[in-house]
Amino acid sequence: MEGNVILLLPVLFPIFMGIFVLAGKGFRTNRNALIVASLMGLAGGLILTILAVVGGGNGLKVWQLTEQVAVAFQVDRVGMLFALLTAAVWLLVGIYGFTYMTHEEDECRFFGYYLIVLGVLIGLDLSANLITFYVFYELMTLTSLPLVLHERTKEAVMAGLKYLFYSVAGAFMALFGIFFLTTVCRDLSFTPGGILSGEMVLGQERLLLAAVCCMLIGFGTKAGMFPLHGWLPTAHPVAPAPASAVLSGVITKSGVLALVRVVFYIVGPELIRGTWVQTLWMTLTLLTVFMGSMLAYKEPVMKKRLAYSTVSQVSYILFGLSLLDPTAFVGALSHVVFHSLVKNALFLSAGAVIFTTGWTRVRQMRGLGQVMPVLLGCYTVVSLSLVGIPPTSGFISKWYLAQGALSSGTGVFSWIGPAVLLISALLTAGYLLPLSIDGFLPGADFDDKEIRERGLKAKEPSLQMLGPVLILTAGALLFGCFPGPFLGFLREIAGTVF
Amino acid sequence: MTLVQNLPFFSIVIAMFSGIISSVLTGKQARNVSIGAIVVTTFMSAAVLAFCLKTGESYTYMMGHFPAPWGNEIRAGVLEGLTALLFGVVMLLSVVGGMGHTFEDVEGSKLNLFFIVIDLMLSSLLALIYTNDLFTAYVFVEINTIAGCGLIMIRQVGRSFTSAIRYLMMSQLGSGLFLIGLTLLYDVTGHLLMSPAKEAVAAIEASGSYEIPMLVILAVISVGLAIKSGLYPFHSWIPDTYGYATPTASAILSGLVSKGYIFLLIKIFYRVIGRENVINSRIVNVLFLFGLVGMIMGSVRAMLEKDTRRMIAYSSVAQIGYIYLGLGLGTQDGVIAAIFHMFTHSATKALLFISAVGLYEVSGDKKDYLSLRGAGYRNPLAGIGFTVGALSMVGFPMLSGFISKLLFASSALESPHKMLPTLIGLAVSTVLNAVYFLRLVTTLYSPATAGALVGEVRKRTRAAHWMLGGATCCFILLNLILGSFSQPVVRAIAEGLAMFE
Repeated sequence: MEGNVILLLPVLFPIFMGIFVLAGKGFRTNRNALIVASLMGLAGGLILTILAVVGGGNGLKVWQLTEQVAVAFQVDRVGMLFALLTAAVWLLVGIYGFTYMTHEEDECRFFGYYLIVLGVLIGLDLSANLITFYVFYELMTLTSLPLVLHERTKEAVMAGLKYLFYSVAGAFMALFGIFFLTTVCRDLSFTPGGILSGEMVLGQERLLLAAVCCMLIGFGTKAGMFPLHGWLPTAHPVAPAPASAVLSGVITKSGVLALVRVVFYIVGPELIRGTWVQTLWMTLTLLTVFMGSMLAYKEPVMKKRLAYSTVSQVSYILFGLSLLDPTAFVGALSHVVFHSLVKNALFLSAGAVIFTTGWTRVRQMRGLGQVMPVLLGCYTVVSLSLVGIPPTSGFISKWYLAQGALSSGTGVFSWIGPAVLLISALLTAGYLLPLSIDGFLPGADFDDKEIRERGLKAKEPSLQMLGPVLILTAGALLFGCFPGPFLGFLREIAGTVF
Repeated sequence: MTLVQNLPFFSIVIAMFSGIISSVLTGKQARNVSIGAIVVTTFMSAAVLAFCLKTGESYTYMMGHFPAPWGNEIRAGVLEGLTALLFGVVMLLSVVGGMGHTFEDVEGSKLNLFFIVIDLMLSSLLALIYTNDLFTAYVFVEINTIAGCGLIMIRQVGRSFTSAIRYLMMSQLGSGLFLIGLTLLYDVTGHLLMSPAKEAVAAIEASGSYEIPMLVILAVISVGLAIKSGLYPFHSWIPDTYGYATPTASAILSGLVSKGYIFLLIKIFYRVIGRENVINSRIVNVLFLFGLVGMIMGSVRAMLEKDTRRMIAYSSVAQIGYIYLGLGLGTQDGVIAAIFHMFTHSATKALLFISAVGLYEVSGDKKDYLSLRGAGYRNPLAGIGFTVGALSMVGFPMLSGFISKLLFASSALESPHKMLPTLIGLAVSTVLNAVYFLRLVTTLYSPATAGALVGEVRKRTRAAHWMLGGATCCFILLNLILGSFSQPVVRAIAEGLAMFE
């Protein structure tokens, strides 16, 4: 163990609290104790992450796994971005969950695993090399599985299995890329701009590209990239709302982080630029963007619609990465944050509607604005952001993505890309906004009998549920209005990797 | 000569004699003697290992007073010490962990026989590891076979007789081929001791004569030992044998016995035929191919299987395939990977069999894997043990299986022609492994359906319960150690292999 031990704390503390919550007998009967313990874990996780990010310094080597490979942590700008985002969103969604989970069984199990996943994700974000990253990546799959399985219905179990098999298959595809890389370079520490050079892979270029392709598809599984996207629309909606929110909003981003790490911190963009791998990658992402939007457009169940929307939106990010262009890179990373805020807010709103009314289908939610105007307002704002209408944050990221695509010099893709993004934005508006329209303006023939009968008149969700949604919405809006410092930060990252 | 150098010989003899003494003891006394013998020999192996690591060289030990070309010899080096130590630990844990079942499955009057068989197994394994003489190796191969048969048959239910007979037939076929190989080798070289035989082989190779007989010898010995260790097309005896024996027997048979033969094969490759000659003869390519097919077919069969223990048994077929694949790569690193996987597999497979016992106990002893629903909640420790074992087999990082796969993959990249098949084979087999092992693990943790709940739950004495738990814990620990601190082990294997040359 050499280096700064503080890096280990935000990883271990939430995991420890999670195990404590799972193992402690008292938490089953005493709900207050459960909430206090979970809150401590979440808040502690956030505070320790901030401390680690500030004081992380030179990193930490925990121990040497094999001669080449060590388990090690470090703080770099990308890791910092993802870690802070994860910890902050986790806390907000956790607070929401304290109310939401009252109508689910077995809260101890939920919050126990919820905390453990937080620790694992922070470990993932702060990993200093590919092997450590892979360890946490696999752990993330396993520990987030109970969140999907939570309701224990047959549907949930089947969805959980699907999630597991897709994830494991993806991870092992990626593993073979890692095996190849271990033989080419001595250690797999993340270095901006990549550690491979042309001479190191001389004579093995084709193999390198095949390995990278395996890793793209493998890690792309977690990010819901075609062709291994099938698990996402099944697994995300069956989980309880807070879990679907973080699964969609944060955990899919770990797939993105994996690709950022592989392409920009190990292999280096130069070795991929202009090869068939880049073409394949761009094709797959654009296909996913379009397909996800189309499927979302046709889906009547709210949470499933949001899950399809995730498939599409995360591939925006991947498309930005696949262009291998600094501007598009900035757009992609900003979309990581913005999409995370927006998708969490959307899932939490859908959850709040389920919690108070039990409605799951979009058609049922007609006239919702008369009952929950604030919630539906938030929903509308973040929807606009996802569509990409100024001054919301989605506009910024899409602007950069389109700019990057146009200037990237990728031939036909530099104009097909923006075109697909525009069509998909239109579809996004098509599948998100009808709820707002029907909700606020149900039309003259609308009969609010059902709403009156069920005594739902003017019943916003409690502040504990509404608060996190409000904060996320405010975030999505503020980043759109004042993106300067944040974009500057991202440009610095882009400057180091290109 | 220091005292430590006598220990390999002592450990073989102690194991044999405890078997002989046990024939007049009661079951419980025999148990104590047997466990005592395993513990003592394990410590002795550890001492041998420490000694060899310190001196940095191997030594031969003359049995009786006849010098080299005539007498009988024992040889110990780092690799021998390490293997003996690991085998001892796995054996001890398997015997202790399955104790409760042993006392139920085995008829009271025959209990001491069971422990005699265990003692014989131990001594023959140690002898296979340490011997420097081909004929002694053959003798102990036979003792091992008989002991293995006893282990299977001791649980006297219908299926186990058939499987024992099947095991006997296949094993005898293997031993027969091995014996033919030895006889031919003796004809050609005039030696049975490994070191002089190697010199003779080198002289023959240099003169260029006996080309075809040498190839036949190599082929016959390899195929013989491959049959005995259950390489793919010769695997038909494995599922029945491992599936119907008592848990201790399954753990020992799958974890250790097959590995003893593989170790012998490696020893013959290095110490008699010579590595270069083996590679030149292209027999490695055949082993490579069989290994590759075995890796995939074993996993496919395991996937189709509904009975948990047969599933684990078929997974052994796949894992043996991995080991032969490593040998077949024909590089030093490939052999290191194969030996490391040998260790991984013995630690993991024994863990799987032992923890499966704990899960069966709480699920009414049904065969179908679906009956294990929710067993992970009813017996948490066994559930964790099984999960760790399964994840290790799948190749989860920090567990020993991951390191094996890493070693296989990186050694494959050094032999250009075999790289692609190896990598693809590893990928396919890993995914297949993941499918059936994770299916089992999720079954363990999915809720039991209300109506079809568990038959009667086996009652256990406190002691048996603790022994099972303790053994499971130790196995998990062993797996974690092999997975997280693999460096010294890999280095020791490399050092030991260097001593073989």
